[in-house]
Amino acid sequence: MIVFWIAVGVISAAIAGLILHRAARAAASGETGDSTLPLYQRQLAEIEDLADRGLIAADERRSAHAEAARRLLSAADASGPAWTATMGGRRTLVALAAAAPVAALGLYLATGSPGYGDQPYAQRLDQWRAAPPTQLDAPRMAAVLRSVTQERPSDPEPLRFLAIAEMASGDAAAAARALRQALRLAPDRADLWESLGEALMVAAEGEVTPQAAAAFQRALEQDPQAATARFHLARGRIEAGEVAQGLAEWRSLLADLPMADPRRPVLQAAIADVSAGPRPTPSAAATVGAAEILAMVEGLAARLAVEPDDPEGWVRLVRSYGVLGDAARRDAALSQARARYADNPQILSQLTQAAAAEPMP
Amino acid sequence: MIVEIGAFALVLSLVLSVLQTVASALARIRRAPVLAAVGEAAAISAFAALAVSFAALVYAFVVSDFSVANVTANSHSAKPMLYKVGGAWGSHEGSMLLWCLALTGFGALLAGYGRGLSAGLKSVAVATQGALGIAFLAYTVFASNPFWRLTDPPVEGRSLNPLLQDPALILHPPFLYVGYVGLSVVFSLAIAALVEGRADAAWARWVRPWTLAAWSALTIGITLGAFWAYYELGWGGWWFWDPVENASFMPWLIATALLHSAVVTERRGALPGWTIFLALGGFTFSMLGAFLVRSGVLTSVHAFAVDPTRGVLLLTILGVTAGLGFALFAWRAPAMARGGLFAPISRESALVLNNILLAAATATVLLGTLYPLIREAIAGEAISVGPPYFNLTFTPLMFILLLLLPAGPLLAWKRADAGAALQRLWVAALLAAVAAVATLALVEPRSLFGAAGLALGVWLIIGSLTEVAERIRLFRVPGAEALRRLGGLPRGAWGMTLAHAGLGVFVLGAVFETTWKAETAEVLALGQRLEVAGYVLVLEDVAPVQGPNYEAEQATLRALAPDGTLACMAQPERRQYSAGGQTTSEVAICTRGLSHLYVVLGERRQAADGGPVWLVTGYWNPWALLIFLGPGLMALGGAISLSDRRLRLVAGRRAAPVAPAPAAAPGPVGGQA
Repeated sequence: MIVFWIAVGVISAAIAGLILHRAARAAASGETGDSTLPLYQRQLAEIEDLADRGLIAADERRSAHAEAARRLLSAADASGPAWTATMGGRRTLVALAAAAPVAALGLYLATGSPGYGDQPYAQRLDQWRAAPPTQLDAPRMAAVLRSVTQERPSDPEPLRFLAIAEMASGDAAAAARALRQALRLAPDRADLWESLGEALMVAAEGEVTPQAAAAFQRALEQDPQAATARFHLARGRIEAGEVAQGLAEWRSLLADLPMADPRRPVLQAAIADVSAGPRPTPSAAATVGAAEILAMVEGLAARLAVEPDDPEGWVRLVRSYGVLGDAARRDAALSQARARYADNPQILSQLTQAAAAEPMP
Repeated sequence: MIVEIGAFALVLSLVLSVLQTVASALARIRRAPVLAAVGEAAAISAFAALAVSFAALVYAFVVSDFSVANVTANSHSAKPMLYKVGGAWGSHEGSMLLWCLALTGFGALLAGYGRGLSAGLKSVAVATQGALGIAFLAYTVFASNPFWRLTDPPVEGRSLNPLLQDPALILHPPFLYVGYVGLSVVFSLAIAALVEGRADAAWARWVRPWTLAAWSALTIGITLGAFWAYYELGWGGWWFWDPVENASFMPWLIATALLHSAVVTERRGALPGWTIFLALGGFTFSMLGAFLVRSGVLTSVHAFAVDPTRGVLLLTILGVTAGLGFALFAWRAPAMARGGLFAPISRESALVLNNILLAAATATVLLGTLYPLIREAIAGEAISVGPPYFNLTFTPLMFILLLLLPAGPLLAWKRADAGAALQRLWVAALLAAVAAVATLALVEPRSLFGAAGLALGVWLIIGSLTEVAERIRLFRVPGAEALRRLGGLPRGAWGMTLAHAGLGVFVLGAVFETTWKAETAEVLALGQRLEVAGYVLVLEDVAPVQGPNYEAEQATLRALAPDGTLACMAQPERRQYSAGGQTTSEVAICTRGLSHLYVVLGERRQAADGGPVWLVTGYWNPWALLIFLGPGLMALGGAISLSDRRLRLVAGRRAAPVAPAPAAAPGPVGGQA
């Protein structure tokens, strides 16, 4: 803050000084005459000059000279009385010179953000790095990890964490970028290929795109037992219509998973869901892992925190929390959104509907 | 703190502009030199304060301070430094600040270097410039302040539109703004002339250097923009009659007309009213351009975020400023002295004709630009006025103007002999005819328009050089004498010749490029080739490239000239920007003499056999370089004219062989020769 006031003082003093200096000089030099006459005198001299160098003909010189001389005379006649009026005393001038910075300061205090320091990115990044990681939200965590990856360019591990943070902040494309970079460093790690496949899948809103399938295939090449890759490849088959083969793959995956694996219930539910009957588009809950849903919801929440003016986003967020069974955050988001769109009954009713969504089994 | 210092300096600049206006106006009313000095000092200080403010904004962009809303909206911590700096004027708020910087900068120049002006003219001009400053600075401070802060800064910025992340961003807007806003001084001088009732030769001589400076900067700015649009895919080539291109072209046309009419007023004291009218018109068109870009009425890469409120405010500034200016004109101009008389065939008449044609051309561009907007506002239907309209209206007017151009400088003042002037142009006419015949005979496919256009270009270039040859009496006096005369030619004459010849160079390039460009698009797999205008492009490789804030696919194509030799290795790219996820296409340009081989890499696709293929487009743009070289010569001509000591108003007259006195020498001049 002190720097600000010093700067304001220096700038104001310099400007007041310049104004007073100029005014004093004008007062000292007295009257200001009409300075157009020299200009005509110069024009006359130029005509002579051009004629001397043979660039204009003699008769042109005569007529041009006559005309310029006439203009000189008429300008001499036309110039009004000289400027002589003096301004009031020194005090008026000093007051004038001081008034400008004072008025500016007043206007600044009304329009600016006094006392708000600079927030350079590097400085904020240092603060985040110094803070305990648990206090950072996903986007800040990603920013910290991004700077760590730059410091350790040959280590795939920070890139993997960065990808997780990017997923959690809702930027699956950035997560995929980080994972690709990590895979350039460690191309034989099946878990990274699986994560890349998932990131590409989330970026494509759950669809197992050819790129995602290719990543899962690479994971299987490194580790034929890679469970996530097998799960999603089979799901891709089911969505593509090869239901029987996909289900067989799921069942063999289920057989391979240890009894304590937390993924078993999800897989069992998915198998039951698909076996129950032809469902062209399995519900998102059954297909995308719970972690991905959480990541997407976190991303939506982070985005709304930055760009809150998105009624559809709020409706989606409230419904998502409801489906996840997180009543506390659902109600928090609901009350925030209700306050924001208090004067829009249409959105309010949509929000109420969304809040009534049944939790996922 | 630096950001807040910038915010304070911006407000200070506004307050100083108020002081500038009030003190200068009072100085005129009370004939008080001390008050005039206060007004001038305020003008200089306003510029200094704004320079501090602008530097603070650039600093905020450089350090990625996302607590500044404007930085958040237009920058990103991973953006290359060059575009962080350029991003400072890549947005609406930042470019308004640049506009104000130029406006106060010209005000400071007027105040600091205006010693040759009469006291009355000068103080009214400084007051007017201050009033313009108040309008635009108040708009910036209250309606689009680039220093607005965010209490909860986001982690990352939203980055600048990738299309704008180009080296041209660093130069194109500043030059354009210096050009646009340079015309504000001319506007202020016109207001001063109307208030004082005096638009004499001295006034016109004062108008010329400002117009010339603005015109040169505008020429460079427009040319850079045209070049940018040329190499940026999808912007319709170097000129598309896009409303925003037109918005920059109209002030240029008016400034061109003004340059010529000011010569008449300066040399003969004639046409004072018309010169003032053009001087008012130039800045009015500049403001119209600013309004069109910022109001949201246009959809274009130039259009900033759509915001009707800001548009209305700008329209109000435009309406009030131009309205007051032209109202004053209507009131005061009829009383102006008429000035020197001239015969129907004379240099003056030729310049009047030039002005009529340029004004008519401006009117056609204005109509073509505004008609779709008016139509949409009234009838609610969107129509587009494109190149066909301008080709039918603007091009014929320009053709007549350019056809007559070489004769103008050969005519004498007051009364001239048209026959004699035309006689002197026989060499130019002969060469133009030869060019036309040769074009028809040699260039395939045959084009009458192309032949006529090339003849016109040759006519302009040779015609301009003829004027120099006439002045130095080439072949009529011994060689040494002619050389001595050549050395003695004033720089203004060189400037004119360069500008006129540059126009000819531009015509050659524009006509050749539009008439004989060729294009081939093919889907290529690695190793396959396409042919365009005799050149063969072989797709050798496509590899991923990691940029600072983008990932790209870069193709390498071997370009073989018609004679089988290697012309160049072209490396076009397709870039995917991380922030925002937009894709841009970076073309590769191989310069072959005056022509360009222009290669574009399209999206990766899947061939029938499953392998990757790319859509590759090759363009052959013959003589395209001349399109940008010509205006470059014109701007150079403007700069050379500007350095003519006759236009250096404050410099002392050259005393025999001694170098010109420094610009600060205040003394009256002409006493000593």
